[in-house]
Amino acid sequence: MHHTVRNSFPYIALAGLFAALAWAVSFGTLPPADFSFSNGDEVKTVDPALAYGQPEHRVLTAMFEGLYRDWPIGFEMDEQGNVIGKPKPDENGNYPIGEIPGMAESYELSADGRVYTFHMRPGVKWSDGSPLTADDFVWSWRRTLHPETAATYGYQLWYLVGAKQYTEGRVELGDLVEIEMPNRPRADQPFPRGDICRAKLLGIARPPEVAPPANASDEEKEDLTSTWRSSWVYVVDHAAVPEASNSGAAKLAAYCKQPGTRDWQQYSTEWLDGARPASLPTTPETCQQILLDFESSVGVKAPDDATLVVTLQNRTPFFLALTAFYPLYPVNRACVEKYGVPDWTHPDNIVTNGAYTMEFRRVRDRMRLIKSPTYWDASRVKLQIVDAMAIKSATTALNMYLTGQLDWVTDVPASVIPDLIARPERDFVPTPVLIIAFYRLNTTRPPLDDVHVRRALNLAMDKQLICDKVTQGGQIPARSVVPPGLPGYKSPLCGAFDVEAARAELAKSKYANQPGGIPKLEITYNTNDTHRAIAEIIQQMWKNNLGIDVELKNLEWNSYLDAQHTMQYSVCRAGWVPDYPDANTFIDMWLTGGENNETGWSNARYDALVKQAAEEPDSDKRLRRMEEAEAILMDELPIVPIYYNTGKNLVSPSVKGFYHNTLEKYPIQLMRIEE
Amino acid sequence: MGGVAWFLLRRACWVVVTLWIVYTVSFILMRSVPGGPFDSERKLPAEIQKNIEARYKLDQPLLIQYFDHLGNIVFRGDFGPSFRLTDFTVNQVIEQGFPVSASMGIFAITFAIVLGTLSGIVSAVRRHTAWDVSFMTAATLGIAVPNFVLASLAIVVFVFQLHWFPAAGWGSLRQIILPALCLGAPYAGYIARLTRTGMLEVLGRDYIRTAYAKGLGEKRVVLRHALRGALLPVVSYLGPATAGVLTGSLVLEQVFALPGMGSHFVEAALQRDYPLALGMVMVYTCLLLFMNTVVDLSYAIIDPRVKIETQ
Repeated sequence: MHHTVRNSFPYIALAGLFAALAWAVSFGTLPPADFSFSNGDEVKTVDPALAYGQPEHRVLTAMFEGLYRDWPIGFEMDEQGNVIGKPKPDENGNYPIGEIPGMAESYELSADGRVYTFHMRPGVKWSDGSPLTADDFVWSWRRTLHPETAATYGYQLWYLVGAKQYTEGRVELGDLVEIEMPNRPRADQPFPRGDICRAKLLGIARPPEVAPPANASDEEKEDLTSTWRSSWVYVVDHAAVPEASNSGAAKLAAYCKQPGTRDWQQYSTEWLDGARPASLPTTPETCQQILLDFESSVGVKAPDDATLVVTLQNRTPFFLALTAFYPLYPVNRACVEKYGVPDWTHPDNIVTNGAYTMEFRRVRDRMRLIKSPTYWDASRVKLQIVDAMAIKSATTALNMYLTGQLDWVTDVPASVIPDLIARPERDFVPTPVLIIAFYRLNTTRPPLDDVHVRRALNLAMDKQLICDKVTQGGQIPARSVVPPGLPGYKSPLCGAFDVEAARAELAKSKYANQPGGIPKLEITYNTNDTHRAIAEIIQQMWKNNLGIDVELKNLEWNSYLDAQHTMQYSVCRAGWVPDYPDANTFIDMWLTGGENNETGWSNARYDALVKQAAEEPDSDKRLRRMEEAEAILMDELPIVPIYYNTGKNLVSPSVKGFYHNTLEKYPIQLMRIEE
Repeated sequence: MGGVAWFLLRRACWVVVTLWIVYTVSFILMRSVPGGPFDSERKLPAEIQKNIEARYKLDQPLLIQYFDHLGNIVFRGDFGPSFRLTDFTVNQVIEQGFPVSASMGIFAITFAIVLGTLSGIVSAVRRHTAWDVSFMTAATLGIAVPNFVLASLAIVVFVFQLHWFPAAGWGSLRQIILPALCLGAPYAGYIARLTRTGMLEVLGRDYIRTAYAKGLGEKRVVLRHALRGALLPVVSYLGPATAGVLTGSLVLEQVFALPGMGSHFVEAALQRDYPLALGMVMVYTCLLLFMNTVVDLSYAIIDPRVKIETQ
């Protein structure tokens, strides 16, 4: 090694260190925000079609606006945004939420409750200045429902006629179908789409299905099936479309998603009315997608720029509330088609229609929202710059609040709740929310397959003690799965804490006199201090009151979800946050085989009652059906309700326009800072 | 200098092989953990679940996913989209997260080197004095106390009592100091002990006695003759330490709400965000291998007895 290199090395290293330090201190400074709040975990996406979860909800409601919007009933402002009417709280400190017009100005509902005609607000604009029309909603909902968008919350639109069938890609003989040609401008993006032609489906030719090998896994079988399905050949008539220049003669064509299919005429083919057309093309054309025809068959139409007609499958009393929910927000077609997913959501590209637009975003740090000058109601929006901070730790968020860095904290550590409630500022008021905490019982495993054991477990649980000693945030012991607070609905209750009754119930079970006693139980919970403490106290209660041995099993989040989905548990903690403010969201999950049932429980009468409720036109009778159904659930107890949760919002006294409510809807455009 | 070039070339080959093995093992481990990236408490209808999996090509056979993903990384440097931070690609997440971790790391490691070597030298030269005892106690504490405890204490004292620093967040110099000190503390402790041990060994050597015998002053002997030999173990420790510090710390990032690499790393693994987790593993591996190479080279520069071998 050369001598000079060696001698100069310490200086080079030192210079390097200083250069690194100089780089490290070179911060760009941010102007302070008017209002900062902790938004919990990092927002997964701000694409309304792909988003789900509370942090997403908070920022999406600020940036986008649906046909209607959630609003504290009684809150009124004048043109300049001065408050002239204040809502009144209920006895729990909650304010009732209703829907007021947003992008739509008004609506009419048909007599059968299925057809909504929305009249768009005149003059509403996107943040790029372009006008927003009814057609934007049609396009956005079409995009949400398109199978390749893979919208997580797409099923919120399945109340529309034909919507579910469109997403599932199911087409039936006689349907009008839309056929997309394989000429998309960008291969990796479903939008903008390739050329679309419409036709009537006359026949489906299916090649013989390849039998899967005997030892094939479910996944391999599914692969085979989907490959097989994509090799189907569809025979259509282009002349049968209403607007086709009808010469009377059929214009036949055959399409297949797989290129190079030849001998399809030997396939077994199903024809509409059994009628096989005389001449058929030898080679089918290749197409990208074949779906139910959206324009004619899915229940959303824009007869003109100012009118949107939505046709639902059944009467859906909560549909107006759904239009205020982010999966039904519109997105800007030009922006999405220009940049594609996910680039259109970048701060430089995004176009929004709500009170705010995004200025910049740093992963796991913050999203800075800035008031949109093109928003129709901008004169009533008071906060100019809002920071939505991604802060995972509730303790950190609390520290930042206490030192004045945050104005609103959405979750606080359970251990400090009593201290926070006692603060003289009265800035922490836990109020009931529509969230139920419960234990799932795996009804396919002994001893939980016995209803007496399940009832005994419920009766032996001192839920008041759990609320007073463990959760401590004003939670209310639960005896039903539907939390209180939904207008017109009164939950039937399951048994209250009673050790004697619990033992009597257990004695009736077929396991009572079994040699070896009641089989052991295991409570599965995900990593969380509160969940662990609750599991421990319940373990004690079941042991002391019933003599049942209980083990605890802690899993990290995804393993816990997997255990639940595959029913590899005996008792499992769970919670449910409603999608929309209606008892149905808590009731229909327990249908036989429902995706979120996950207890193995099944009751034919329950299924029938839920179905009747869905079809019942009279809203009062509908609620009674659901109450009857819940009574069955609370008698058979495939789940044990534990407590109704409370909101844990810590709000600075200088923030006005924040109204606690059971749905946890807190529009930022209502808030203002007043010292 | 031909030796150095040859050394680097051979090292580069090994780096490629190591990276490939690390990638493959991580890929297999990631996929064999229960649960998938799109699980949620609210189970999705089967059709939608299928559409989402198709969108991210998770419906294809594992082997094809493996080669597709590996190919994209090798030929395009593209780690693909993040499954959980869906608005970002893995490259964008790393682009945003790395500078944060890096600036915090640079502060931490500077602080650790300065404090560690100084206290190590003082302890060795003034052996068995109150200085020595107090520095070495502090060093042991720095190593032993977990950084979330240290961070909590620091917040109580410096944020709530003295009001010197903001509680958390990212964006100004004042916000970086507290987390950097907490991050650097255990490294400072190690460096202090390594320096002290190294110094004690070197100070007993003949050439130091010779230096003193020539009549050189203590300051000159210690800083010019002894320190160079004593720092060798510190230099070899600095390689992995720098890599570790630069990739961030989950705990400190959560306590101080910093948008660094540590949270991305752990969250990605917990949420089964396969591409992001792989991206993080690869960045960490690259950093580690790079720092080790730098350390090996600087060894040869600092210590005349070390030769880069060409065999």
